Formats: sequence, structure tokens, C-alpha cells
Amino acid sequence: EMGAELLSLPCLHTLLAKNNRLGGPGSLPKGLGQAPLARSLRVLNLSGNRFADVPPALLQLRGLRSLSLGGNRLHSIPPDIQELRSLEFLYLGGNFITSIPPELAKLPSLKYLVLCDNKIQSIPPQLAQLHSLRSLSLHNNLLTYLPREILNLVHLEELSLRGNPLVVRFVRDLTYNPPSLQELAGRTVKTRNVPYTPSDLPETLVRYLSLASNCPNPKCGGVYFDSCVRQIKFVDFCGKYRLPLMHYLCSPECSSPYSSASQSSTSQSESDSEDEASVAAHRMQKVLLG
Amino acid sequence: FRYTRNLVDSGNGKFNLMILCWGEGHGSSIHDHTDSHCFMKILQGNLKETLFEWPEKKGNGEMTKKSERVLRENQCAYINDSIGLHRVENISHTETAVSLHLYSPPFDTCNTFDQRTGHKHKVTMTFYSQYGERTVCVSMRQHAP
Repeated sequence: EMGAELLSLPCLHTLLAKNNRLGGPGSLPKGLGQAPLARSLRVLNLSGNRFADVPPALLQLRGLRSLSLGGNRLHSIPPDIQELRSLEFLYLGGNFITSIPPELAKLPSLKYLVLCDNKIQSIPPQLAQLHSLRSLSLHNNLLTYLPREILNLVHLEELSLRGNPLVVRFVRDLTYNPPSLQELAGRTVKTRNVPYTPSDLPETLVRYLSLASNCPNPKCGGVYFDSCVRQIKFVDFCGKYRLPLMHYLCSPECSSPYSSASQSSTSQSESDSEDEASVAAHRMQKVLLG
Repeated sequence: FRYTRNLVDSGNGKFNLMILCWGEGHGSSIHDHTDSHCFMKILQGNLKETLFEWPEKKGNGEMTKKSERVLRENQCAYINDSIGLHRVENISHTETAVSLHLYSPPFDTCNTFDQRTGHKHKVTMTFYSQYGERTVCVSMRQHAP
């Protein structure tokens, strides 16, 4: 454990404590979050220890720019990681992390995010909000697809994806559950702009209506609530790499190129969104690391 | 934020001698050596080398791993195109690694390979620094293997 003497260092900038046996209760001195070094500390390296979770005191180090917890025993990332507002570099490689909290995307200065060698099964689409992100390391995880929003990371210069079981063939979610009557009514209210006020409906329905998601198909204009179709669309990086990106669409008709009704408009919308995707894909091609 | 290639000596055009600096978790893509000899010595830390067979001409399947080993400090390795392709990685999440590379004759382009499909892609290799000076105006588009 790290002794309380640490707290008497008021201007500490960098603390390197890698390859120790820290991780149990009392590893970090009590009162760390209130000590003067909580504001001065910029770099903290706790890699190669035995942390099974991120100690809450760590999240009070407001000035922290670089945090490494590589090679520990973490199973998750606490949503309160968003408290580290100054964080630019976050290394979490070599742990047992299974999922990423969307709150991670609230770190405005995050430039380098390393999540390699974990057990991550999916990436939350909110991660695309990390507009400062330049480098994202996801190699050796359990990803089968990526959210299509990943194409929105315009400043991304490096992306590593090798060693993930990314699907290589078209996969259609065969268990499409038809929408409930409530969902169908909700969709109609929203898409036809049926006016309503809170006094017209029970509070639960008012709340339900506020949760409508827009169908990402730009030509659709429809909404969905709970019932949507997952479809994996492949974005081809000019033969170098085909990435499976997950799309959520409001109905099978929205996505299918074989739709008998309004076939021309569907294929137009397909090709429009293909154009957007291919521009973004061209950019991503230069970013993908093999 | 990837490993850096730092040119030390260009041997009157006969060879390139460079130092590669690998951060935690950094790895290269699978690559060939453009008909040159490639010697590598570990100066600090450890690097894992995974050897691959050349993909079939019409390759459209996962590439075949031949072998892998972890090279320790001061160990040397050699490869050329007739031996196969390799990927070099620093698999440590706590230690950085440094390696010394000698390529003869020198080359600045090579092919990188997608492990899942065997598709190859020609890339131009760039230096992070040359003779101790940072190389600026480097195109971020293409990357060293």
C-alpha cells in the first residue's frame, strides 16, 4: 500500500507506481481526494498491479492528464470516470473489461484511449462523441461488429482492431419482434406530428413518446421506440479491410433493397447513405492499423 | 501514438540502421521485407514475433501462423521474404521496448497483410526521426508496418 506520507507532497506532478502489489483496500492513502496533490497530479501510472476496480479516490484527481491502469484485474470502467475532466491519455489495456460505459465519452480532452487485450464485446455508439480522440486501440477483444457512429470520429488517426472476431459475412437479425400496438401508435403520433399536451395523456405515455429514436436512414424520417432491426452493413475500405458496422433501422422494409413497396426511394436512400459511409470510410481507411 | 522508427545510419545507401521504440501494447502489422535482409536486436524490454506463411495467390481466408516467440533483451532475430512474413509486438502493458533494426539493402515500401483475409496493401514507411532530428511534415496517411 502507498503510505500517507504521499499526502504531504503538495506539488506532486507525476506518480509512477507500476509493478507493485497494490489493489486491496487501503492501497491508496486515505484522504487522497482532498490532499493538495489531488489538484497538482498530472500523470499517474498504476500499471502492473492488482486493482480489481478503479478506486473512487482516483476519480477525485481533477487535474489528471494521464492515467495508466494497464495489466491490472479490472472487470469494468466506472461511469464516474467522466469526473477526470482533464484526462488526455487513458491506458486500460490488459485487464478483464467486458464493456465500456457511455459516460467514458464525456471526457472532452481524451486523445489516446487504449482498451486492447480485454474482453470487450461491444462499443457504445456514444464513443463517437469523443471529438478529441486521435488514437483508439481495441485489438484483441471480443468485438463482432462496430457501431456505425465510429465513422464520425473525424480526428481519429489510429485505430487498431486486429484479434477481434469481427463478422465477415452478412448477418441479419432473424428474431425481429414485430412492434407492439403501443409502439405502432407511438410511431404514428410522432411521424404524423399528432399534437398532444401532457394533459391529454397519462404521464407514462408522455414519457414514452419522448423516447422516440430517429431512424438513421436519412431518407426514412421514421422513428422507433423499442422495436428495431439490427443490420450489419459492411463498409469496404477499398479492399484493404471490410468493417462490419451495426445499423439500427426502424423496420426491415427500411433497410431491405428488395422491398417491393417504394423500391426506388429505398435504393436511393441506400446509395445516399452509402455515399456518406464511403466518404467516412475513405478517411477511416487511412487510420486503420493492421 | 504508435511505435516510432528512428533512423540512425543509412550506410552510404547500402543499409538502413534504425531504432524502434515501442510503447506498451504497440504492435506492427503483418509485413514483408521487400527482398531485403532484416536483422533485429532487442535493446530493452521484450518483443513477440509471430511468423506467418505467405498467403495463397487467391487468398481469401485467415492467414496461417507458423510460429511465435518472445525475444528477450539482447536477443537477435533475422528474417527475409523467403522465410515468411511476421508481426512484431510489445505485448507488455507495463514496459516499453526498444529494438535495433538493420535492413540491407534499404527499402522504404513494403506490403502489409490483413490477417483475416490475406489481402496485401503496399505502404510507404516513414521515420519519426532521422539522425536524431525529428522528421516533420510526415504524411499521416501511410504508416510503417
